[in-house]
Amino acid sequence: MLKKSCAIVVSALALAAQTIDRSKPPETPPIPSYKLPPVYETRLPNGLGVLLVEDGRFPLVTARLNMQAGSKFDPRDLPGLAEGVAAVLTEGTQTRTARQISEETDALGGSLGASAGEDSMTISGGALAENLARLLVLMSDVARNATFPKEEVDLYKQNRLQSLMADRSQPGFLADEKMAEVVYGSSPYAHIAPTPEAIQKLDSQTLAGFRDTHLAPNNGTLILIGKLPARAEVLKLIAGQFGSWAQKPVAAPPKVDPPAPKRQIVLVDRPGSVQADIHVGRLAPTALTPEYFPLTVATTALGGGTNSRMFKNIREKEGFAYDAHSSYDAHRDAADFEAVTQVRNEVIEPAMKAVLAEMEGMAGAPMPAGELRNVKNFISGIFLLGLETQTGLANELTSMKARGLPNDYLETYTAKVRAVEAEQVQAAAKKYITPGESAVVVVGDASKIGDALRKLGTVTVTKAQ
Amino acid sequence: MKYPIVCSVFLCGAFFASGAGVTIPVEPYQLNNGLRVILSPDHAVPVVSVYLIYNVGARSEEKGRTGFAHLFEHMMFEGSANAPKGTHFGEVESNGGTLNGSTHPDFTDYYDVLPSNKLATALWLESDRMRSLSINEENLKNQKEAVKQERRLSFDNQPYQTAIVDVWPTLIFGNWQSSHSLIGSFEDLNSSSVADVSRFFKTFYAPNNAALAIVGDFETPAAKKLIEGYFGDIPSQPAPKRPDLTEPAGFHARTEVYKDAMARVPGVVVGYMGPKRRSPDYYALNMIDAILTAGESSRIRLDLVKGKQSVIQYEANLNWPFGSALDYRDPEPYAIFILHNPNFTGKQIVDQVQEEIARLENDPLSANELERVKTQIRASTIAGLQASLSRARQLAQYAITDGDPSLINSELDRILAVTPAQIQAAAKKYLTPARRAVLEIQPAPGPQRGASQKEGR
Repeated sequence: MLKKSCAIVVSALALAAQTIDRSKPPETPPIPSYKLPPVYETRLPNGLGVLLVEDGRFPLVTARLNMQAGSKFDPRDLPGLAEGVAAVLTEGTQTRTARQISEETDALGGSLGASAGEDSMTISGGALAENLARLLVLMSDVARNATFPKEEVDLYKQNRLQSLMADRSQPGFLADEKMAEVVYGSSPYAHIAPTPEAIQKLDSQTLAGFRDTHLAPNNGTLILIGKLPARAEVLKLIAGQFGSWAQKPVAAPPKVDPPAPKRQIVLVDRPGSVQADIHVGRLAPTALTPEYFPLTVATTALGGGTNSRMFKNIREKEGFAYDAHSSYDAHRDAADFEAVTQVRNEVIEPAMKAVLAEMEGMAGAPMPAGELRNVKNFISGIFLLGLETQTGLANELTSMKARGLPNDYLETYTAKVRAVEAEQVQAAAKKYITPGESAVVVVGDASKIGDALRKLGTVTVTKAQ
Repeated sequence: MKYPIVCSVFLCGAFFASGAGVTIPVEPYQLNNGLRVILSPDHAVPVVSVYLIYNVGARSEEKGRTGFAHLFEHMMFEGSANAPKGTHFGEVESNGGTLNGSTHPDFTDYYDVLPSNKLATALWLESDRMRSLSINEENLKNQKEAVKQERRLSFDNQPYQTAIVDVWPTLIFGNWQSSHSLIGSFEDLNSSSVADVSRFFKTFYAPNNAALAIVGDFETPAAKKLIEGYFGDIPSQPAPKRPDLTEPAGFHARTEVYKDAMARVPGVVVGYMGPKRRSPDYYALNMIDAILTAGESSRIRLDLVKGKQSVIQYEANLNWPFGSALDYRDPEPYAIFILHNPNFTGKQIVDQVQEEIARLENDPLSANELERVKTQIRASTIAGLQASLSRARQLAQYAITDGDPSLINSELDRILAVTPAQIQAAAKKYLTPARRAVLEIQPAPGPQRGASQKEGR
């Protein structure tokens, strides 16, 4: 009996095997619909925005307190101030030593840290769901009562000087630093890291001063995602920790006024480099402009993922590089686009030509319908995959708030991607993917690649130090 | 700092899966050709992760063929009989998915994450390359260049990485299978032939040497039918021989200083040959790793970063730098990588680490610290279960390494059961100077000679 039923199973499966046609991609059902989990939004009387998302799949909570206090607010002579504030914010408050904060955090099965982006500062926390209340106590304490103890500031300075040196030993960092400088000129987005001189100048008072000026409830949003208590109870917890935080007038953001893009070639000399890091980039429109989605499609087709033009041609066809990609980084007040690859010194000339040719190609002809469909699918799919984890959704919501985007941004994201048409893509490419108006930043050994670069035009050589 | 070995950024840090508040469904079975399959449905988000692991890695390489397992991994993306070059990338990404592969000392893995309606597409692609990989001169030549370029990008042109991939294994291991470079030398890569690729494919990329885990939004009966249809008639092969990883008698872990002209800040790797996987001491070492380095209140942070102000950054793992406790297969070390304040010598840093270990040996963990560390381990385990890909990876690892994917739901309990006395005993037995290898990486002035020499190796 047993034998017989096994035989039936085997033959049924064999039949299934025969019916599969391997010669072409399988027919598949339509893409399933997915609705983002609902986002509940409210605001405390002191102005603190609150976003709540219930996700009960895992007994965890993820929290973000995002405030308009990023590196663009750094004074000109103190690049890295916001970063320093974020780093020392969790190292002591009026009632807790750094050690107490770290031990309490770890005891929640959690994490607590702060970081500064270009536009905003974010205090990030996480914990086992049962410890939400205690996590909020800690987040509120560091946001409001940090004391920036001298010994912690001194340790931060000492270690940041060293880690800055470590950063500067990475060619990618040197390229990013130079590209920001070239694209954003003298505007506040032009620096991506502190200088050693600015680190030396930091002290408790300066850090506290930045905090007093920029960290305020009316300047921020608290985002909670996870297995949350009932709505009324969560709101009570939040009000208990953040309700008494006094509102205050906050500084207007500095004007971001980058220079008009123009062709310039900068070679950052890094003697001994065995390859050249090529970055070609320029100013681009922000996520609030109608050009954002068409340009997102264009840059993704150019260098997003393994199916992109740059990957297929520069890596797979020519074998010039391991990595060939593009990026489009939209801050709140300005954005930049760049095409990036790293190639061995001997092929710098043809590789450089290939990058510029791929950029030209985006504007040169309307995108074929198949490619357009594929790229739109790719962007929508990646967006969906990013929402699998609490951290993924928290980061999307934080980025939305940091950049001042409308609250339906995530909900309408996929539809806006899908609505992009080929003419819009080409128009955006013509305007922004323009090698003739782009800066070329190359990090490499000037004695090996300088001559090849000079064939493109005048080269400014700077030292890697 | 992360170590992106090969085409992928490997996600470390997910400890173990757990019975603590979450149970992951696990349905394992085997096809007639030996392919192990693990299904774990979850309908929360319409995404499906398809993860294939082949039981072969760099430690199966032969002399004169360093880096071959990784070169072969690249060849797996070069097309197959029904899905010519470019199809795999194109089909996955143009349907809204992502994919990658990565090579490790003992295994090689491939994944596709897609909107869930495209499960069949992923199975079609993975089965077609398992069945009929396109192996030819042109693809091999192209991928040799890509791999060499990867070596320049991720190792030769970076601080620390060349020392870690080429030198570190020679200090901790005496057996060539374990001590040779995973990324390989240019010379060995250049001399690899199409015949080598074909032989490797036939020997190791057979269904009976692989495990397939699928996690996400699918219906089990339909998935089983598709799996049988696509993979069921791929012929099995004789079971490949596992490399002999026995360490030679009389080998002693060593200390070496590497001058690194790319580096500006001194670094030290301190590592100790570890215990047998899933032995009581292995769980104790997981706990020790958390005590020393997990979270903001870890001992390395509180005592050395803050107290002595000698350490600037650190990371540690069982199976560092190419994996984690999850995919640890003995013999492997427990190792810590530290960037340190240049006012301290590398030797002083090693002594300080050894003092921390002496503390572990001499003083039983307080109830408070034990509770805190357990909570951290529990939380990071649960966090590591969130993404379907992370679950698929764990299921497939447990299936192929331990023959039991349901360990995803029980390994956490084994770690949480470790007692303070076991921690003391494991530290005494394993974290001793006699079992210790040390790699000091010192910044060297002037143009990088080390890196440019690599061209001629």
